[in-house]
Amino acid sequence: MAETRIPRNSQAHLTSVDGDLRAEPHVRITTDGTLTVSGSVRFDGSAEVVGHLTCARFRSGDGTVLIAGNLTVADDIESHDGALEVAGGVKARRVDVDRHLRVAGPAEAEKFEVGGLLEGRQTMKARSVSVGGRFHLEGRLEAESVEAGGAVTLADVSIDTLEVGGTVRIGGGEVRRTIEVGGRFRSDGPLTFGTVEVGGLAEFSDSAKGGSIEVGGLLTAAKDLGFDRLEVGGVGRIGGNANGNEAEIGGKFDVLGSLTLTRGIEAGGSISVAEALTAQQMSLGGSLECRRAVLAETCDIGGQVKTREGLKATRIRLERKSRAHGPLIGQSVEIGRGARVEDVYGGEVDLEERAVAQRVFAARVRLREGAVVDEVTFTQSVEVDTGARVQAPPRKVDNLPPFPL
Amino acid sequence: MLDDREGTRAAPRRREATDLYATVLEVVKRYHGAARITRVSYGAGMPVDRLRNFVERLVALGLLKSEEIDGRPAYDITPRGQEFLATYWKMRAYIEVLESNPDGRASRRRV
Repeated sequence: MAETRIPRNSQAHLTSVDGDLRAEPHVRITTDGTLTVSGSVRFDGSAEVVGHLTCARFRSGDGTVLIAGNLTVADDIESHDGALEVAGGVKARRVDVDRHLRVAGPAEAEKFEVGGLLEGRQTMKARSVSVGGRFHLEGRLEAESVEAGGAVTLADVSIDTLEVGGTVRIGGGEVRRTIEVGGRFRSDGPLTFGTVEVGGLAEFSDSAKGGSIEVGGLLTAAKDLGFDRLEVGGVGRIGGNANGNEAEIGGKFDVLGSLTLTRGIEAGGSISVAEALTAQQMSLGGSLECRRAVLAETCDIGGQVKTREGLKATRIRLERKSRAHGPLIGQSVEIGRGARVEDVYGGEVDLEERAVAQRVFAARVRLREGAVVDEVTFTQSVEVDTGARVQAPPRKVDNLPPFPL
Repeated sequence: MLDDREGTRAAPRRREATDLYATVLEVVKRYHGAARITRVSYGAGMPVDRLRNFVERLVALGLLKSEEIDGRPAYDITPRGQEFLATYWKMRAYIEVLESNPDGRASRRRV
């Protein structure tokens, strides 16, 4: 194929080239609107094209190529050790730039791969975007996968997967499959997601809703957070309400609103819920503090629970030496050996050896050896083993007082 | 690159050697085994001669591995390198919380 060559440090005026175009370093090409090259364009160094450029392939080397209009390439854009700045839009099959790519207009390609900086002023559409350094986009990003090793700032996103090694800040939008954050992630607007895995730090400044969330590092949500499954091994803090199916807390988890789960919660760490905790069941090895906790089925407490209004479940079991502050309400309440509780309301209440309670209101009460209760009020029976103690004589009544909750 | 503080509440913090090692590892990771030294230098924002010292150290520690592709070395992150990054980011997140005042404002004190 014929080659048109523009010598170093020169200026040329071209409108179309049949074949390839080769520009030596420091050239300026002017055109009447669009320069159309049927073959490849190769820039050996810095260059400027004053107008639009359309070609089959684009190659550039060490230096910066400036395109004053749109750059439309049928096949690939490749810039080895070079940079590319486009005042209009970019359209190509694949874009691979070593240093930096700046695009003022819309950008579209199957793949963008940039070693240093990728900067866009408008929208970007791609199958994949991979940036070693920084990526900044002011318009909407539509892509399947986005990978970033450095700092990334995006506006609205509609992407499948986002893998962040460095720092990412997005305006909001949708990440349909996975957000994997090794470094730092922040979303400023409403966000929906498939799953989130946070090894470093994730911040949701607005409401966020999605599937499973796994936090090894730190998670903060300023507003409401919705999820299917939440696993916190590190630290989580939700400024609004947290709603999901189930949760497993190994670390520390604070909710400033309510925590509502359709299934269960398992907590070996510490949970603080300013308002109500509602779930099907709970297993607590660590500590829980909330205004009220309502479990539709069972509640096992191995650590410490503190409520202002009470904890209610069908069946409550406090393990050995556990602690409960605030009323406990259940059809069946078992207070394990050496456990200490305040008031207990139930159908059947069983205090095991050396368990201590303040007041017990129940149909049937059993106090085992060494158990101590200040007051017992019952409707059917009370059984006090040898060595168990009720400070005031147990009181039989026809009806128990209304239970809290 | 990794120390871009935009969008965070922390006061600017000087990049320490550990941050630079993490930066290099993160950039190498993006290339899935085909990271060339010049490409990494663009991503990490570090001159090639300085970067070579960092890369050699990371290879010596088993955090990076090197393989010849087309007669030139290309780098990839090792499982130990991945482990280093996971620990580094988790630690960075905790340090940030520890350095923040209880009301959420960042402390000016530097480690």
